[in-house]
Amino acid sequence: MSARLSGPLLGLVGILLFLLIWEAVPRLGIVQERFLPRASTVLGRLVEYLGQQDFWTSVRETMVAWAVGLLISVTAAVVLGLVIGSSEFLRKATRSTIEFLRPIPSVALIPLAVLLYGAKLESSLLLIIYASFWQVLLQVMYGVADVDPVASDTARSYGLGFAARVRYVLWPTVLPYLLTGLRLASAVALILAITAELIIGSPGLGYQIGLNQAGGAVVEMYALIIATGMIGVLINFGVRFMERRVLSWHSSVRGELLA
Amino acid sequence: MRRTTLITLTAVSALALSACGGSDSDSGDGGSSADGGTTAVTVGVLPVPDTAAMYLGVDQGFFSDEGLDVTLQPTTGGAAAVPGVVSGTYDFAFGNYLSGMVAADTGLPLKYVTNATTATPESGFQAVVVPKDSPIQTPADLAGKRVSVNNLANINDTTIRGVVDADGGDSDDIEFVEVAFPDAVAAVTNGQVDAATVNPWTSSMEDEFRVITYNFTDYTEDLDIAGFFTSNETIADDPELVESFQTAMNKSLEFAQENPDEVRRIILTYTKLSEETVQELVLPVFRTEINRDALEELGKSAAEYGTIKEEPDLDTLLP
Repeated sequence: MSARLSGPLLGLVGILLFLLIWEAVPRLGIVQERFLPRASTVLGRLVEYLGQQDFWTSVRETMVAWAVGLLISVTAAVVLGLVIGSSEFLRKATRSTIEFLRPIPSVALIPLAVLLYGAKLESSLLLIIYASFWQVLLQVMYGVADVDPVASDTARSYGLGFAARVRYVLWPTVLPYLLTGLRLASAVALILAITAELIIGSPGLGYQIGLNQAGGAVVEMYALIIATGMIGVLINFGVRFMERRVLSWHSSVRGELLA
Repeated sequence: MRRTTLITLTAVSALALSACGGSDSDSGDGGSSADGGTTAVTVGVLPVPDTAAMYLGVDQGFFSDEGLDVTLQPTTGGAAAVPGVVSGTYDFAFGNYLSGMVAADTGLPLKYVTNATTATPESGFQAVVVPKDSPIQTPADLAGKRVSVNNLANINDTTIRGVVDADGGDSDDIEFVEVAFPDAVAAVTNGQVDAATVNPWTSSMEDEFRVITYNFTDYTEDLDIAGFFTSNETIADDPELVESFQTAMNKSLEFAQENPDEVRRIILTYTKLSEETVQELVLPVFRTEINRDALEELGKSAAEYGTIKEEPDLDTLLP
């Protein structure tokens, strides 16, 4: 019980300590204030942003790229993962291709994205989809490989059809893996969304960060950077929440709740 | 049984994939398409003061007067401009003349259609600066030092080398470092570089820094910095579009040159520069004619310093 209480509390102390150090560094002149403004100034500006329409427009642009990119990549990865994972032949046939394509950093595709789409949403999507696709695909394939052969054979000998086997044997095994992949992919997708906006100039928070940097508006720049960090925290929180709900029956989650 | 289900699954997934593919490629490129007398035009710009005439022209309706419905597509870096025009994502884009020479040098088919900015006669909107207490006094002193420019192998290092050589220094010994304009002041303040190319240069910076050279103005008199270019394909396929763009852009340049207050007003709308900075800005010259001699000199220097392989053919590059 006490361990659960001190967890969030410790986290809060950590954040406060970080803000304190940040506040002190420019105040003590370790870094000049025009390059690193005080934490209080930046947070004040962020609060101002929360009341501004333009800010929310940028947030929406970023989140649309994130959501659409994630949806496309997860759908494609689940379907392909199930297909490839179910077949020994396909697994072997695609292994080297996947191992070759997967490590290519998505940012290396920036020139291609620029050439194909310019500074638009599509450029963001290309990078997001490429980066998050592999995260989910591999997890789904691991999940399929993890299906208990005894359970699978039992289901078959009891005369369960293909659809029923997928529903009662394959899906429950894959789901925890899929959600892990989703959690990884949702973080990666946000990183790539901001990267595309910052470097290519696709519309969104990243573009606004770049624009403020170019204009020497340092306080605004840091405020927006904090905002992207907070979005990341929220996304992670949301996915974990969903994970707990969807997997409430699973031993990993049950174990966590019992502890 | 197992086999057929697999095949079905494959077919379904292929369908799903193609559906996904369709959804992110349908919004297409910004190519020109006539609808109801107006032509949609996408122009790649940088959100910097140099493109003020373009923003102002759109604001004043000079482009809609010519039947052009302009979408300005700002990018944070200049990297998207040339590939954007070559691939047809942009119909026109803003780019400095040396970037165009480099692109032409690698065989990319593009051509400038109008001027955009020209260096100011005496002082400049851009300068190479050192901290007040620096031992560097003249451009020749830059030899052997670390100097920041926003892009390597481009207009700034080429003109700085020209200035240093003309001053009797050996520009081969300069170590150029790529630092983006917004970070240049920090880099030279913290001693990461000995001198920095800063843009915009404003008079309030004189408290801390000393100007070693206004590298454009000191390089040669009357140097045009940047223009708007398009692909040879657009020029061949749609000469009317190019002509309308030229008419509107030239009108915009003239208007910008005559109305500096309007220029400052519009800069505040698309950059995040502070109001004080914008009031202090030394504005570039906005004019329609291009000084060929100065650009010929720039091309010669670029070839001499190895920025490009051979001198550019200005007949094909300039309007």
